[in-house]
Amino acid sequence: MIRYALVRGALLIAGLLVSSVLIFLTLRVFPGDVAQLIAGTQASPAEVEALRESLGLNQPLLAQYADWIGGIFRGDLGTSLLSGASVSEELFLKAQVTVPLGIMSLLIAVLIAVPFGILAAILRGRRGGTALSVGAQALAAVPVVWAGMMLIVVFSVWLGWLPPQGFPRTGWSTPGKAIKSLLLPALTIGIVEGAMLMRFVRSATLQAAGQDFVRTAAAKGLTRTRALVQHGIPAVGLSIITVLGLQVAGIIVGSVVIEQLFTLPGIGRMLVADVGTRDLIKVQSELLVLTGFVLVVGFLVDLLHRAIDPRQREAA
Amino acid sequence: MFRRTRRLALISALAATAVILSACSGTPEPAATSTGAPDPDATLQVGLVLEPTNLDIRHTSGAAIEQILIDNIYEGLVTRTQDNEIEGRLASDYQVSDDGLTYTFTLNDGIAFHDGTALTSADVVASYETVRTDATVQGNAEFASVASITAPDATTVEIVLTEPNQNFLFALTGPAGLVFKADDATDLKTAENGTGPFTLTRWSKGSTITFARNDDYWGEKAGVAEVEFQYIPDFTAGVNAALAGDVQVLTAVDPNLAPQLEGDFTLTKGRTTDKATLAFNNKKAPLDDVRVREALRLSIDHDALIEAVGAGTTLYGPIPELDPGYEDLSDVISYDPEKAKELLAEAGQEDLELTLTIPSFYGTTVPKVLISDFNKVGVTLKVNSVEFPTWLEDVYTNHDYDLSFVLHVEPRDFGNFANPDYYFGYDNAEVQDLYSQAQAEVDPDKSAELLAKAARIVSEDHAADWLYNGETITAVSPTVSGFPEDSINSRINLAGVTVSAEK
Repeated sequence: MIRYALVRGALLIAGLLVSSVLIFLTLRVFPGDVAQLIAGTQASPAEVEALRESLGLNQPLLAQYADWIGGIFRGDLGTSLLSGASVSEELFLKAQVTVPLGIMSLLIAVLIAVPFGILAAILRGRRGGTALSVGAQALAAVPVVWAGMMLIVVFSVWLGWLPPQGFPRTGWSTPGKAIKSLLLPALTIGIVEGAMLMRFVRSATLQAAGQDFVRTAAAKGLTRTRALVQHGIPAVGLSIITVLGLQVAGIIVGSVVIEQLFTLPGIGRMLVADVGTRDLIKVQSELLVLTGFVLVVGFLVDLLHRAIDPRQREAA
Repeated sequence: MFRRTRRLALISALAATAVILSACSGTPEPAATSTGAPDPDATLQVGLVLEPTNLDIRHTSGAAIEQILIDNIYEGLVTRTQDNEIEGRLASDYQVSDDGLTYTFTLNDGIAFHDGTALTSADVVASYETVRTDATVQGNAEFASVASITAPDATTVEIVLTEPNQNFLFALTGPAGLVFKADDATDLKTAENGTGPFTLTRWSKGSTITFARNDDYWGEKAGVAEVEFQYIPDFTAGVNAALAGDVQVLTAVDPNLAPQLEGDFTLTKGRTTDKATLAFNNKKAPLDDVRVREALRLSIDHDALIEAVGAGTTLYGPIPELDPGYEDLSDVISYDPEKAKELLAEAGQEDLELTLTIPSFYGTTVPKVLISDFNKVGVTLKVNSVEFPTWLEDVYTNHDYDLSFVLHVEPRDFGNFANPDYYFGYDNAEVQDLYSQAQAEVDPDKSAELLAKAARIVSEDHAADWLYNGETITAVSPTVSGFPEDSINSRINLAGVTVSAEK
């Protein structure tokens, strides 16, 4: 187990390094730079060049990368070229919107996926089961933006229950308002991610239903459904944890789009704004933190899975 | 996993768009002012759209920074009034020698920085020396003709130019002329140490910037205790905030939403120096043919376009009404699609295809009108909507474009047409000569005449088209008096603003 954790940890670090190079290089593809933006449309080429020099944008790419990654190793995410604010501070500030949004989305996804997935498994081969499966297929294919707009139309425009966009200026000092403004966006991500998760829950449940211990329970006189619920579901829970790790990445991508749509002052919106101003140092660090988060979740899920499931250990 | 990361960056790049809707416009009513007694302890809340990226006005260009900081937090020796006239600020008096080379400023008494240090002429000299010698500082180019900056005594500053420069004094009303404390350690990106009637108390990024009255101000103290600028990027959300009473003043009101505010607010239409510039790449075929450029201008129905945008006035030349050298050039161009077709045929361009490069935040109204107008004369317009940094790189820096649209907001920027290296690619020796004469002319009226002459040539050459001169709509609550109307997209001077407790 220890050896496995070490190997898996080394993989994690390698993954982060590769990501950092990819992120750094990808961002250099964008046309335009922050010096032009700061200088504006009355600046002479010489002025822009002087600014570039002072911002360190003229240094070779390798030196720029080394600077940045060196800072990361010291736990310093750098400072924004534009605002002069520390990136970690801003991330922390915006996380106060994005993290609750992510948690709410995940909860909604699980609340949708688990009961409906199990139901679809139980009703397999019947009309209701087919309807559930088709519905999930359709929902999972819906673009998040479109789902969001539909929800705005229904809940804000028609019913007027929830605000169509924005986050209260007062933030979490008015928790009721804050949660209310996150409800629709979380629902949007939750429904789409939940539909994907539901199909997985259904197949995991069916797989469990075919397992020996469930069949044994059924042979002892339990109905198939009860055998499944009492003995099969705990096994399903285990596989769901693995998939949830993957869902986290989906939720992060979803939140970038959704924060735009609902104008929420979160990490996703900040990321888009920073790309728009070519504040590349900031974007690099933000993307690396997000990637790191996804990779770390994957790492923890793998360890957890191994610790819980004895069969994994035997296989190793 | 990595693929996802890359996709994330792509999505980020794609997702950044702003939507500006358009239809027909409401007509704002004339201003009514407050009748209640001003409350000296009041807080004024102002809604704005564009938030500064940082507060370092020395190194960062942009109206969003100038708008709130100049005259409120920082001051220069001189400043400009709402109608762009120059007046003294830190300087009680200034003189220009007859040869136009020596500027002598006398400082007001008792000026102090917000940290309590007294301001002397040495601070002015140090500030201006920085502008002159450091190319990363805003206004460095405008100081190219400065020979020396000296302080004969503690209250006098003398600036000597190598040649007369009619624009120099006006440049001092911008970021270049602001006075900072010599050898100050303040981080200007996030803090300030100015001399103005307000101090910065808080900046909560992405939402508000708060100023407090500077009770130790050297001049007349501000009429409100606190000002809170609320940044609301979404036009509809801004109007809702105003209707909900979150702000007493809303600037940059979307013309199409303005009618919603009538009754509760007084709507003012302010003049600006915003020139909605449809640039032609004068160096690139077929736009190097004046007949093609004229045809494009003839095919645009400017009145209908302004109707579609919802605010603005017609502008038929490079100089707007608030700048010296303005004259009505409507005789130069008209709306005449038939003549446009003839000219295109003459130029052998019956099936012309052109691309318009436009920063995405300007929305779709203008491109839509242009597509349909050009279509009527047989010109196919493709629209390439890009992020602003991409526009800067492709159009501004590399001159790689056919047509471009941006709002040029800077006052007195006619010099761009006298600069063959500017992205317009307009190279006319006569215009350049007239412009340098105008710069060197010591008499302001004569200088303006020379500018007007040059501007007429630029328009007759159809170097570009000016789709409209922007107007800015401000909604002011009846409890607020003295809020500026004109040019507030570049200056919001709050010194004379008061708020009364009662309507």
